Amino acid sequence: MAQSNLEKQLNILDYALSSLWRHRLKSLSVLLVFAAVIFLLASFQMVTQALSDKAKQVLTHTPEITLQKMSAGRQEAIPLAYRDKLAGIFGIRRVVPRIWGYYFDEVRLANSTVMGMAVDEMPEGNRLDAALAKGAMPGPDEQGRVVVGHSITKALDLAGRTTFSLFRPDLSLKPFEVSGEFSRDTDILTNDLIVMNLADARDLFSIPAGLVTDLCVYVANPKEIDTIAKKISETLPSVRVLTRPQIQKTYQVVFGWRSGFGSICLLSALAAFVILAWDKASGLSPEERREIAILKVLGWETSDILAVRFWESVIVSGLACLVGMTAAYIHVVYCAAALFRPVLMGWSVLRPDLHLLPRMAVGDILLIFAFTVIPYLAATVIPAWRSATVPADSALGG
Amino acid sequence: MRPAFVFSLFFCLLLALDGALLMDGQNRRRVQDATLAQLEVATRSLGLTDLAVATEARYTRHPAVSDAMAPFMDHPGAIEHFPTGAFWRPPSR
Repeated sequence: MAQSNLEKQLNILDYALSSLWRHRLKSLSVLLVFAAVIFLLASFQMVTQALSDKAKQVLTHTPEITLQKMSAGRQEAIPLAYRDKLAGIFGIRRVVPRIWGYYFDEVRLANSTVMGMAVDEMPEGNRLDAALAKGAMPGPDEQGRVVVGHSITKALDLAGRTTFSLFRPDLSLKPFEVSGEFSRDTDILTNDLIVMNLADARDLFSIPAGLVTDLCVYVANPKEIDTIAKKISETLPSVRVLTRPQIQKTYQVVFGWRSGFGSICLLSALAAFVILAWDKASGLSPEERREIAILKVLGWETSDILAVRFWESVIVSGLACLVGMTAAYIHVVYCAAALFRPVLMGWSVLRPDLHLLPRMAVGDILLIFAFTVIPYLAATVIPAWRSATVPADSALGG
Repeated sequence: MRPAFVFSLFFCLLLALDGALLMDGQNRRRVQDATLAQLEVATRSLGLTDLAVATEARYTRHPAVSDAMAPFMDHPGAIEHFPTGAFWRPPSR
């Protein structure tokens, strides 16, 4: 019994494949459009998932609390004297001042991130050399020496020299000497960085003594982060308090279907499905109705005709899903999401080499499968059932 | 040769390609995991808060420490105009 059932389904599958082959141009067109839609959805899902995953991995070691001063809704320099006010809050282990900002190179149109701090005061600051490909971090008293990211080396063409200059706000030049370069393996974090001493950063940006851009606060017990953040907010009401969990949460929500690009991907896919469903739901062509009528005259039952249509849909949608998702994976992993880079990086001049590696969880695959294959099956089988229930003589007569 | 057999062969070929991609992905993951220690040191030592992916605008370079109004602060009535603003959604706090 089971053997004959299997043989019957195999025969129906043969017929469905032959039917698809007879209409190969149409079948291939539907398959390619369907695969392209799945490719778009899956690529977006994989890129955002890989970036969120990477952020989750590396930002677990971000400062426990970061303080920025706000004025008129904008960030401004924070007085170093605020450290004294924080001294009274029990549980704070260390407060490290930092100056960081953006340096826009008008010749190359490159926007680099400048960070000035006493690295030896930071946790594991003395181990930072491990993240360098060559050279060493400048000591606390070494003025004018910097460590740069790979894109900075490339943009400033530092391959054959170690010195360069940046403009201060008054357009006077401040010379620097490169003492090290970050490893390419840390590109995702350090690609556009120029790290220097606090005094050099203060000089470069002409920030008055006694002011910095933010304070990194480290607490004795990580379980007390929220409590200490609340106390800091009460002590310094004009300060924005960013906690480590908030920063980690950012990267879990910053990529999503509600972003402009995500919405475009989703809406394109929805539009494609609506057009497809409308085409199918508007009924079968007279030729297809005639084919069904002939099959019924030859003794096929309605369930057999439905099985043929089901197999056709399964073959087209299953193949499209497999091809679309495989192409999306190749696009993201081997082509570094080349199609998305114009939007992902925009007009950025300093660009890291993205080595995206999405974790293909069963849930993600099922999500894309459920959003694509199942609606297609519904959109094709229901009209086929409506048509298959029409009496054969009326279909042949029409 | 019956069509179902030819189709099965083609489908298996695609699955084999996916299997090869999966294995290569696992190798790549091992290589990437080996660099995690370096990334951890860089994050801790510099107090980094963001990924250096989009460097064109400060609010997409450092979304974790920028506020949602940052794209519209250039002048009254300013509109967000950087391409990356379409990909990166403002964080909700």
